[in-house]
Amino acid sequence: MTELMIETRNLTKKYKGARAVDALNLAIPQGEIYGFLGPNGAGKTTTIRMLLGLIRPSSGVVQIFGQDLKRDRIKILRRVGSLVEYPSYYGHLNAVENLETIRRVLDVPKARIDEVLHTVGLTKDAKRHVKGYSLGMKQRLGIAAALLGSPELLILDEPTNGLDPSGILEIRELIKKMPKEQGITVLVSSHLLSEVEQMASSVGIVNQGKMIFQDTISNLQRKAGSEIHIALSDAEAAMIIVREQGCFARLEEGKLIFKGIDNGQIARLVAALVDARHSIYRVEERRKSLEDLFLNMTASASGASMGGISQITGGHSGAPRGAGLPKEVAQ
Amino acid sequence: MIGKLLSTDLLKMRRTGIWWIVFIGPVGLAAMQALNFGLRYDYLVRDHYASDPWSGLIEETSMFVPIAVYLAMTLLTAMIANVENRQNSWKQTLALPVRRSQVFASKFLACLIQLLAACALLAVSMLTVGLLLKFSGPIPYLDLLKLGVYPMLAALPMLGFMLWMTLTLRNQAIPISLGIAASLSSVFGGAMPDVFPLAWPAVVLGNGEEALRYAGFGITLFAVLYLLGSIHFSRKDVA
Repeated sequence: MTELMIETRNLTKKYKGARAVDALNLAIPQGEIYGFLGPNGAGKTTTIRMLLGLIRPSSGVVQIFGQDLKRDRIKILRRVGSLVEYPSYYGHLNAVENLETIRRVLDVPKARIDEVLHTVGLTKDAKRHVKGYSLGMKQRLGIAAALLGSPELLILDEPTNGLDPSGILEIRELIKKMPKEQGITVLVSSHLLSEVEQMASSVGIVNQGKMIFQDTISNLQRKAGSEIHIALSDAEAAMIIVREQGCFARLEEGKLIFKGIDNGQIARLVAALVDARHSIYRVEERRKSLEDLFLNMTASASGASMGGISQITGGHSGAPRGAGLPKEVAQ
Repeated sequence: MIGKLLSTDLLKMRRTGIWWIVFIGPVGLAAMQALNFGLRYDYLVRDHYASDPWSGLIEETSMFVPIAVYLAMTLLTAMIANVENRQNSWKQTLALPVRRSQVFASKFLACLIQLLAACALLAVSMLTVGLLLKFSGPIPYLDLLKLGVYPMLAALPMLGFMLWMTLTLRNQAIPISLGIAASLSSVFGGAMPDVFPLAWPAVVLGNGEEALRYAGFGITLFAVLYLLGSIHFSRKDVA
């Protein structure tokens, strides 16, 4: 069992009665890149601010490195690097001076400034005033600041927000290197699943302050499931043959759609269909995109989580198999 | 830790023009008196204050000191807070392994250092004016220092209030307006009842025997306001 870097229990934040974060249970193992997903306003930033001690939870417990945040805030924060939302910087100072303001507090050697600037590729612009930086450069400076104290845990809130594609790629590569090269655990929040999918090893999905899914990314992909689509000349007539083969299909736009059938079954089906003089145009596997899955999960959020689960499986027809219960249903 | 924080705060103030305020205030006051005494030399130095031109200089300046001190407190706290407020750097500063009370203390100390520097500069520039105008009599070094420091101590409650306002409010227009309004009304401090804190710098300047007592009041009220501000700052949510 790997050690948990971050663990929250029933973490709740109320604003004037409304629950921005509602009984959230985060569990982030060591060495992972944890993608913290949710639509805008789901409570991601609020959660992250609570993890950093910037705002006080209404109730619940935050444990980082196995220590209670309330009691050992300073000890914990010494080992955490963070970038919350859009970058914080002092525009009238240059990159080195910006980092120096943090270095003096963290009390790390001056050489670290050059190291982190090199890591994020800002060495060339180190002496320029930060207000002249592009958003991407400011964001990289923010990451440099987060890395300055050689943290064991990196908390990045929407680090690629507002960046152009090449900037996003750069930041993503940077984040992916962290666990491998320096053994850093990373919590990265985003509202884009496609993005988290490309770097995270595990994910937590929140909506309206509640955790609706928390598992590894591969389990999430498995839940998405796949379908076999067969496009052919006379789909309705073909349904009879399908039934004779002992398979169940649903008809959609002149295509037969199968769920959860194996290679042997597909081969037999196709052979039987060809024997029956059907022209087969296309046999394709369609993975349900994670984006759909994500949307389904989040759209069905308010209250009835059971309703959401049937939607995840497709919701149209057929047995709900292949897409089980989300492991972590918010209580 | 306070020392480290203070050094970062002073670093953050580079190129913000904050030291210009420290410089312009006292030098401006001195320049004004240089003009006053230079243009009316015969009347002021040879006639009106002939017996003791130094105390004349101090007296003429003293009516402008309260407003200068209040304005300086308003502008300095606003500028110090602005460094963090502008790019909402609070979330970065306060996510560092530091106590919030120490962050608050460091901002206060930075401001206090600047105010004391301004007081010292006031004494030096007044001395220069007196020497340039070839005042006779012994130079009252202590009175020149007191000219800035005592009213500053008596005005400290304002600093406690402004520190709290500027460091906790996002909208700096509110503390700045209040600060300027207070500065302007402090001109009439002499006409206010002595229990009114805004009048204390004027009381200190007008009444030599009461000076220490009212400076003490200023420090005491400041301590209370500072404590309340620091507690609130330590507990509030950082947006």
